Amino acid sequence: MTIASILIALRSLAIAVAIWWIVVLVANVPAYLLPAPDAIASRFVFLAQTAELTKHIRVTLGEIGAGFILGGFLGVAFGWLFVRVPLLGRLLSPLILVLQTAPKIAIAPLLLLWLGLDMGPKITLIAIVTFFPVMAGAAAGFAAVERPYQDLGTLLHLNAWQRFRRIELPFSLPPIFAGLRIASTQAVTAAVIGELMGATYGLGYLLSLGQENGDASVVIVAILVLSTIGWGFHELIRAGERHILSWHASQIGLEARV
Amino acid sequence: MQDALPPKLVCKGLNVSVRQELSRLWPRPLGANRRMITIRGVHKDFSIDGAKVTALSPTDLDVRRGEFVSIIGPSGCGKSTLLRILAGLETASGGSIDVDDGDRARQRVGFVFQEPVLLPWLSALENVRFPLDTARVARTEADSRALDLLKLVGLTGFEAALPRALSGGMRQRVSIARALSYDPSLLLMDEPFGALDLITRDRLNDELLSIWSQTKKTILFVTHSVEEAAYLSDRVVVMSPRPGRIKTVYDVNLPRPRGERTKLDPAFHQLMADLRRDLQ
Repeated sequence: MTIASILIALRSLAIAVAIWWIVVLVANVPAYLLPAPDAIASRFVFLAQTAELTKHIRVTLGEIGAGFILGGFLGVAFGWLFVRVPLLGRLLSPLILVLQTAPKIAIAPLLLLWLGLDMGPKITLIAIVTFFPVMAGAAAGFAAVERPYQDLGTLLHLNAWQRFRRIELPFSLPPIFAGLRIASTQAVTAAVIGELMGATYGLGYLLSLGQENGDASVVIVAILVLSTIGWGFHELIRAGERHILSWHASQIGLEARV
Repeated sequence: MQDALPPKLVCKGLNVSVRQELSRLWPRPLGANRRMITIRGVHKDFSIDGAKVTALSPTDLDVRRGEFVSIIGPSGCGKSTLLRILAGLETASGGSIDVDDGDRARQRVGFVFQEPVLLPWLSALENVRFPLDTARVARTEADSRALDLLKLVGLTGFEAALPRALSGGMRQRVSIARALSYDPSLLLMDEPFGALDLITRDRLNDELLSIWSQTKKTILFVTHSVEEAAYLSDRVVVMSPRPGRIKTVYDVNLPRPRGERTKLDPAFHQLMADLRRDLQ
């Protein structure tokens, strides 16, 4: 991301905030429905100073990080297994299809029943929503490793781990990253859903707290923090992708496309 | 050891003795004329929808140490199958292959594919070093060997280039350097220059001969090109399809080193005409 593009983004943001402010002032919108930006800002500062906000952010970030790493790891591992052990793929694919078509969010109440109100059920839910796109990408990538490259592994007497680490995984990284990017936005949603349904900390909990107290400014602060987390997370993965896949055709000329 | 046996060729019960060359203008390395590969009755069958298909009928072939042997034939004659069986990429349905590789047990064979098969995320140097890295050769030693090989194939200055920045010919040179990196005594090449334009191909043929004379490898070279086979080889094996089998083996007595003069030699043109007729 260049400085110019950040400046453009900031300008758009400033215009949106200005319009918001004008609408609130001109239409005289009651504060319990839509507070003015300055009220949001002061509420943000207040929450941040009481250290409650940082705790909520820490919990949500921790859940997203743990669930995402767990789901991503399992996704790659199972994607590899399904391609290398076709029998396993045939046996498990109906089950996976059922799980994949069911709205993952619907599992949340069950997870809360089983695992309690702690971070456990949220991490599990995030891992589940991360697993599917990553597994699909990984399986597509591993299946597409061309025959001569497999021959190369045989010729050089590579063991299974070397083949995976030195040939198959690098070749499969582009579709794996595509899966990770899809998963990154779903992971944030899953964290919020899990926290909304029952939690003692986290930004989703903050959302429901604001709703219960009829405090729109708390809700809006939580939304803004959540979208910042989602955006930052997505950008982090893009940066990793750009760095790791600099050799790949998909990354050439990407800067020019914005 | 069964040294100095006249190379013999048996195909489908037909015995073709190949005249042993008595004198050579090209000095052979030490241990030359020692038999290195002994192939006896190697064949490959597979079934498609229950029907048996013979990719390669029982084949006998001997290759001497340091020899350059080309295998030529139309598509489906089993030439690539034979090469892949030798490399261990496919298993034969029967027969025996004996590779006398001295004390170098479990030696990895050098193999050059038609496509370069380079790892696109590794630089030219890293690609050449790849077999050494996976065999846990010390980095400094691997680096110096890879640099030497890149020099041998004329790619000094391109060490850091990624494959996509290299031309087709340069990629194939990297591929050859990689196949040589672990110093195999046998180099198998499966139509290595088939995807290149003629000018590049001619240049790489000359470079291959120079690499061969410097490294003293035994080379088995599969090709579609009559000219390439005649120009490069000590012997040319002509195969015919359905079922794949060895048809004829030609000794090539053109003087070495070969070059532009070889291409003007009437014997060269006679050989090409013979090969072409045989391939009909």
